[in-house]
Amino acid sequence: MGGGLKRKSSSSSKSLAKSKKKKGPHLPNSILKVIANQKRPLNSDEEDDDAIDSDDEHGGDLYEYEEGVPEEESRKNNRYDRHDNYDYELPEDFEDENVESEDDVNSENDEEVEGDDDDDRHTRMLQSLTGMPSAAFEGDSKSKPVLFTEAYPEGEFNPTRDVLEGKNVLTEEDFLAPLKGTPGYQKTSKQIARMQKGTKHVVHAPLPKPERERLERKAVKGIVDEEFGKWVHLVKKNREAPTVYFNKEVNLGYSTVSAIASDFQPRTEFEKKMASVLNDSEVTEAHRDDGARLLELNEVSMEDHIKDRNHIAKMRSLLFRHEVKSKRIKKIKSKTYHRLKNKDLKNSSLGALMDPEMAKEEAMRQEARRVEERMTLKHKNTGKWAKRMISRGLNVKYDGTKAAIAEQLQMNASLSRKMNSMRDGSSSDESEDEEELNDGSDEDTPSRLIAKAKEKTLKALEDDEVPNSGLMSLPFMARAMKKKNEEANEEAKRALEEYEEWENAGGENSKKPVEVSGRRAFGATAKVEAPKESRKDSDNFYDNSDSDNDMAGVEDNDMKAVRDTASPARNTGTMTDTEKFDDVVGNPASTTTFDVAMFASGSWKKMTGGKNTESKKASKKTRVPISQAQDKKGSRDDGSEDSESEAERMVDGVLTSASKETFEIPSQEEIINRAFAGDDVLDEFEKDKEEVLNQEVPKPEKPVLVPGWGNWTNIQRKIGISKHELQKHEAEKKEWEQGLKKRKDARLNHVIISEKVDKKAEKLHTTTLPYPYTSREVFENSMRMPIGPEFNPSTILAELNRPEVVKKTGVIIKPVKFEEVNPNDEVDDEHPRNHQKQRTKKKTSKRQGKVKSK
Amino acid sequence: MRIKTISRSVDEFTRERSQDLQRVFHNFDPSLRPMEKAVEYQRALTAAKLEKIFARPFVGAMDGHRDGISCMAKNPNYLKGIFSASMDGDIRLWDIATRRTVCQFPGHQGAVRGLTASTDGNVLVSCGTDSTVRLWNVPQPSLEDSDFSSEKTVEPSAVYVWKNALLAVDHQFEGELFATGSAQLDIWNHNRSQPVQSFQWKNDTIISVRFNPGEPDILAASASDRSIIIYDLRMSAPARSILMMTKTNSIAWNPMEPMNFTAANEDGNCYSFDGRKDDEAKCVHKDHVSAVMDIDFSPTGREFVTGSYDRSVRIFPYNGGHSREIYHTKRMQRVFCVKYSCDATYVISGSDDTNLRLWKAKASEQLGVILPREEKKHEYNEAVKNRYKHLPEIKRIVRHRHLPKPIYKAIGESRVMNDSKRRKMERTKSHSAPGTVVIQPHRRRRIIKQVE
Repeated sequence: MGGGLKRKSSSSSKSLAKSKKKKGPHLPNSILKVIANQKRPLNSDEEDDDAIDSDDEHGGDLYEYEEGVPEEESRKNNRYDRHDNYDYELPEDFEDENVESEDDVNSENDEEVEGDDDDDRHTRMLQSLTGMPSAAFEGDSKSKPVLFTEAYPEGEFNPTRDVLEGKNVLTEEDFLAPLKGTPGYQKTSKQIARMQKGTKHVVHAPLPKPERERLERKAVKGIVDEEFGKWVHLVKKNREAPTVYFNKEVNLGYSTVSAIASDFQPRTEFEKKMASVLNDSEVTEAHRDDGARLLELNEVSMEDHIKDRNHIAKMRSLLFRHEVKSKRIKKIKSKTYHRLKNKDLKNSSLGALMDPEMAKEEAMRQEARRVEERMTLKHKNTGKWAKRMISRGLNVKYDGTKAAIAEQLQMNASLSRKMNSMRDGSSSDESEDEEELNDGSDEDTPSRLIAKAKEKTLKALEDDEVPNSGLMSLPFMARAMKKKNEEANEEAKRALEEYEEWENAGGENSKKPVEVSGRRAFGATAKVEAPKESRKDSDNFYDNSDSDNDMAGVEDNDMKAVRDTASPARNTGTMTDTEKFDDVVGNPASTTTFDVAMFASGSWKKMTGGKNTESKKASKKTRVPISQAQDKKGSRDDGSEDSESEAERMVDGVLTSASKETFEIPSQEEIINRAFAGDDVLDEFEKDKEEVLNQEVPKPEKPVLVPGWGNWTNIQRKIGISKHELQKHEAEKKEWEQGLKKRKDARLNHVIISEKVDKKAEKLHTTTLPYPYTSREVFENSMRMPIGPEFNPSTILAELNRPEVVKKTGVIIKPVKFEEVNPNDEVDDEHPRNHQKQRTKKKTSKRQGKVKSK
Repeated sequence: MRIKTISRSVDEFTRERSQDLQRVFHNFDPSLRPMEKAVEYQRALTAAKLEKIFARPFVGAMDGHRDGISCMAKNPNYLKGIFSASMDGDIRLWDIATRRTVCQFPGHQGAVRGLTASTDGNVLVSCGTDSTVRLWNVPQPSLEDSDFSSEKTVEPSAVYVWKNALLAVDHQFEGELFATGSAQLDIWNHNRSQPVQSFQWKNDTIISVRFNPGEPDILAASASDRSIIIYDLRMSAPARSILMMTKTNSIAWNPMEPMNFTAANEDGNCYSFDGRKDDEAKCVHKDHVSAVMDIDFSPTGREFVTGSYDRSVRIFPYNGGHSREIYHTKRMQRVFCVKYSCDATYVISGSDDTNLRLWKAKASEQLGVILPREEKKHEYNEAVKNRYKHLPEIKRIVRHRHLPKPIYKAIGESRVMNDSKRRKMERTKSHSAPGTVVIQPHRRRRIIKQVE
């Protein structure tokens, strides 16, 4: 292609030269006159821009030398290419030139043309050097006189009018017309006709060089772009791939053991010997055969055999001796070993069991310990420390304390049990004993009991003290307690009245109700044994009153009160029982259960059922909630409760209408209130909110007068807290109030909107979306899963953490090789890396693709 | 009551060797690990800090030349070898591992301006201001090289004299041809004393030439008239030319993306172009404060290294506007040439202070043999760092670099200048009729025209 282009260019330059030589002969006479008048310099530069229209109409008249139509004629037809006309010199007259010079032979013509060319160049050079018009140097040129009239050479800047108008088309006939009648005319016209018949196509005039080059560059550009374009899919694929690998195709050399072994050369003496045996042709041959020959080769001589045998025997004897020796050594033990061994034997319990005296001694010691325990009750939480802990509620607060107290109790239990086990026969169950005592208590006169109850009730009335620490000190608890106390007080007062009534009524039947009420509280078993006394004359009135009495204590919900009500039992009953009760009271769990009365009673029941040894007073307490429900509200608690109480009554057989009258179905609100008596949600929330507010907008501290600080005490006493401090406090307070008001939840009573900024969490968040991501969800999803080894199985860990470029130091990376890539194929996702990442990448690459396609 | 017992078979839990790791079971339930994000963030932070601590990019200097290094060439077939030439006509072959001269190639009478090696690494081509092209046979690396007993000298295998001083040379990838830049672009064959092809477009000197490694017949050259020209050897004409505001000192093709190339410009920026589009650059890489003298792509195609007249070497991501790394030392002067090693692990810079310097491409990379577990750890650190890189603390640590005072000052100055320019443009725009003032993006602004 290059060659072709070159040729073209050369021809074009020729034409240019020619055109320069002949100065547009087509000027009409009128114009020539005008030119003459103007007396312009002749043969001005070809660069001259003067526009002189040449008229072609008379062209034929002016040329007498046009003899024939040259081959190039055909070209002429197309010289009116618009491009040419505007930009470059029209090779209008070069045909004439050719015609003139190329009469018969083309080659001659070429030479001539070249000669002309040289002349022209020379002239131009001279012209440029001297600044004189070219005509001055063309003295001997072949130019005709007509040429002098041409002030304005026809060129790219002064084309003919026809050309500009675009209607002038010269044909062969135009050129032939003036030749009509001349001798060669016939021949030429025939030739031309033949030629026209043969070549229908039109040959374009060569374009000027810069234009041609531009076109050429355009073409090259297209080709190069196409060349680049074929890479697009491959590049896209590479860019989208989550990981690019450059560590492949590593020649590691030997890859198998056999490959390494094949190059092995024996070097040392031993290796050589081994090699000689291994490579022995006889042996290999034997192997290749059936193996019978191997046996022959394997033959051992007699001497060798004997030598071998002796050697083995020697080895064996040596081994045996060694064994014997070691056995003996093992048997020998040191003195210390024996001493320690004896001591161990002595100390072991086995020895003690063997020795009756020792056993006796042990038993005595145990006994003594037990006695001591019973005397001092050291481990019954009666100590100063334990009491204090319990009273302050520290045993609830701290696990360590709790554990220590429990441990003590357990120690106590274990000490007493040991004793039991030691003397099974001597005493019956302790519980029996207790029961006896309980009976004893029952024998107390009712009047005395009543009196005592009265006394206790009064006492309970008096001290409504509220503990100022622990759970009970919380405001809502305090409030609830206060309410309860009031109720309890009321009840107590009523009870007192009742006591008085009883006292007045006399004590002969007061004994039984106590019993009855006591039995009623037990589960089914208790009820069965109860009837014998209670059935005939159980008085509901008494029953109720009793329960009232009890209720006063428990309703109180104060541990102390409970203990107080329980104290009569202590007086009458066994020590252990009351203590147990105390324990229960002291136990934090039980205090909490007391919040919900019904539940508490249930638990207590269970306990009593389990122990089966309870004083009646205590058992009465268990019944309290039910009776409370009956009396205070005068209603039934719910179905089950009701049925239960009814069953009790059935058992007792003393169902009276009076008792029934008191039951009333409580309203839903009441039930709910009762069910959630303890947890005051609203108050709690308020408290929470207050806390949050305090934390986020801390309340300014009041200025305090610290004696001796800042001033003398007497002066301080006089002036009090300084003014500026007070002012400061005022300002702070105002600020605080403003701060509270400004909060979003200032007007929302049931909402807390925290406005605290967590600085530690803040650094884990970003304010703007990081670059490749365009949506928040996608980004958050990509960040959701951790990539660490603790959070992922090792099988996917490598994929999760794989870098974008995997390369290996020392491996030369070659430039990309072209391969066909199907653009429709998805990126082969051999590595499940984070799909998220890939998706985002795709997005970006799409963007790039768009840019590319622009 | 049902009792669930843990049952584990002995077979599964017995190690085969005592060195084996014990099996450990994890419960990957995310609810059991509520702090995972915080944990990973902390790790990312630690990784970022560790990266800073271990950032020791400078491996060593290669000392021997007696004048400023003008150009370098890497041996595409041999990792340890690098050629360098200086302004006094001295050409050396260096062993990177030992950082010693293996061989010298004396002969040039003036500054050597271009150096390149054939793809098989057997032929070295040099050209210089003495108007000669010299071809040298590169001695094969052998075991004896490592004993540094003697430096060999090699006679040129061919000397071709040309009409003009030659400013650049580059060898075709996997081919016989090489191109030189002088008053025109000439294509030479190893065995001919005259160029086999010449391109001349405008009458301007070609100052750099680079063949496309992916498309061996395509090459780009930059001329002193501030233009970048792309040629195709199969055609007789250049494909396209881009005229920029400032001249391009060097060009590098992306070895993995044959249509893209990056031009190191005199204005301190690098411009990444798509070979099919000349109206705008795809990306402008800013950071240098003085002319970028040389540029070389990493063989991975993801990064390139630039050397600048501001005495620093920078490494840019191929699609990022700012450098990820800057290398400088107190004694390093104007950097005239940089190369990325063929395994994308090292960077070599040659500067006016007659030294070649060897840098790690990744400043904190651990060299030497790395155990698989170590590698895993590195990968994890990298991944986790990459994951949280947008968080302010980590971003701050990762981006922070100590700069030489002149560069730091120059950056501040240029920032002020750019800001004021931008402000002025904005004001002009706001005070003129809408649509009359169009603010061009930087990608287009520096391109004057595309020459057809």
